[in-house]
Amino acid sequence: MSSIVWILWVAAVMAFVLSTRNPIYLILILFGLFVLGNRLARDKKIKTWIIPNLRFLLMMVLLSTLINALFSHVGSTVLFTLPQKWPLIGGNLTVESLVYGAINGLVIGALYILFNIINLALSIKQITRLIPRAFHPVAMMVTIALTFFPSIQQRAREIKEAQMIRGNPMKKIADWIPILIPLLVTSLENAILLAESMTARGFHKQVDLRSPSALISLISGVFFVFGGWVLHLYRYPEIIFIPLYLFGGILMVTTLIHIGKRTNITRYHHESMKPADYLFVAIIASYLVSFAFLAFGQRLTSLSYTPYPQLSLPPLQISATIYTLLPLLPLPFTRDDIY
Amino acid sequence: MNKNRILGIFTDLIVFILGFLSLAAPFIFPQARNLNTQSAMFPIMVSMIIVLCLLIVIFEAQSSLLDSKMIAFLAVLTAINAGLRFLENAIPGPGGFSPTFFLIILTGYFFGNRIGFLIGAMTLFISALITGGVGPWLPGQMITAGWVGQSAVLIAVLVKKLRWKGKPAEIILLCAFGAFWGMLFGVIMNLWFWPFLGAGAGQPFTQAVSAVENLQRYAAYYLATSVVWDLTRAIGNVLMISIMAKPVLRIFQRFQLRFSFQNNGEMSLQ
Repeated sequence: MSSIVWILWVAAVMAFVLSTRNPIYLILILFGLFVLGNRLARDKKIKTWIIPNLRFLLMMVLLSTLINALFSHVGSTVLFTLPQKWPLIGGNLTVESLVYGAINGLVIGALYILFNIINLALSIKQITRLIPRAFHPVAMMVTIALTFFPSIQQRAREIKEAQMIRGNPMKKIADWIPILIPLLVTSLENAILLAESMTARGFHKQVDLRSPSALISLISGVFFVFGGWVLHLYRYPEIIFIPLYLFGGILMVTTLIHIGKRTNITRYHHESMKPADYLFVAIIASYLVSFAFLAFGQRLTSLSYTPYPQLSLPPLQISATIYTLLPLLPLPFTRDDIY
Repeated sequence: MNKNRILGIFTDLIVFILGFLSLAAPFIFPQARNLNTQSAMFPIMVSMIIVLCLLIVIFEAQSSLLDSKMIAFLAVLTAINAGLRFLENAIPGPGGFSPTFFLIILTGYFFGNRIGFLIGAMTLFISALITGGVGPWLPGQMITAGWVGQSAVLIAVLVKKLRWKGKPAEIILLCAFGAFWGMLFGVIMNLWFWPFLGAGAGQPFTQAVSAVENLQRYAAYYLATSVVWDLTRAIGNVLMISIMAKPVLRIFQRFQLRFSFQNNGEMSLQ
């Protein structure tokens, strides 16, 4: 699948994960993510994918449960009471706060695993390619850094070996000076060679990206988004803050597209969208539209479960359960992917 | 001061203010402490605003200084620094200790705020790409590491003013700065993570009490959960800077001269 399609999928799953606190839906989402992640890891010949991620998830749930239980004293089912004079943690320890903490842990775990999957699904090359064209010099810098990285690591190992042969015990931080300094010097020498050859080949300063007007319109764009967000926080009507979000976003995107046009780039290994990708985009788009319609219309009430004030069973809705299948959606599409 | 420089400073200030207001929103806007707001869109919107701020600073920095020399120089330095993150296990140090910050601080100190910002932000980006650590936490880490490098220029200004260049006081000041950021980095990253974790009813942020009281709650939470971790980072920074600063600064000085070859009279590294 193309990288843009993966990004769309992440946005859709993230929207669902962040809009629900219903543990059943979160567990279903996590189940889907584990199935997909396991499949991608197997394709990439990574044997131990599930265990470390499961361990992280459990750790997150435990940590979050513990923190919430200790700091939150709301809820009616009291397990025991810590002395009131203990600052912050003094008070009732309730089942409800334990459950709420666990739900938070599930949300964080799901987000972490979601991005772990994206890191599995997309190659470094694909992620680098997502850098907008207006950031061409930075993208160039990232590409060079990634190219140089293995050779720098190799050199660091060689210098370390040479030092160890000479009897450097490598125990204190000071013992690392004879490694770091030669590494810096030799690598910067390479950088000079690279800079000179880039200059000799005409890549001195390809395009002048300096543009005060572009900068001002980018700053104005972020101001509009920020203003919209503050009004959103203060629960102003949607008719006021949504146009601000949209205007700011469009202003920034069009400025970046406009600036990006100044740079000439050569497309190497161009990534094209296949018919299956279009199908996937159509499914995700219909998912997002229908989800937004139902969620804003208050028809997916089971999403906003809370264990407070007294623990109850989380409600279930068939429509919302269908949305939890989203993590499994890429499965039939990833079959022919070549990494 | 020329027009571009004023615009640069203006951009940095605006971005810092917006970034700070977004990260510290629960203290500043009472509505951001609302339970429902926190649990849904809040973390995503903070991430979005931070990403937008990050784009602006990077755009400003790249368009004013990136030519072939700078691209090569920064790329290699970033690759070295990202590689240092993998030495975290090799260089002895517990907890939050990370050997990357000292190079970010020294680069910002020596080469100025823009290069400092780029080296900080890009180090985190490159190492996230390599380790597969791309996620919603990355923009926050990038902008904060960028601020570490960017603010190191303040030390340069102070050292110049007090004429401490080459004196032990220069290194001591840098060490203190490293210790300060060792702690502050943790405080800011906690704020970043907070909305994801801290949406429990009644605390850690609550609308019912004032901002100051919330600050106290946050301080107590911070002391209970993160202070040891951040303290090791601060001590690590001090150790690394005290030992490495002199030789590294000497290398920077040497390469600054060598990187200043000119082409058609364009600006050099200085």
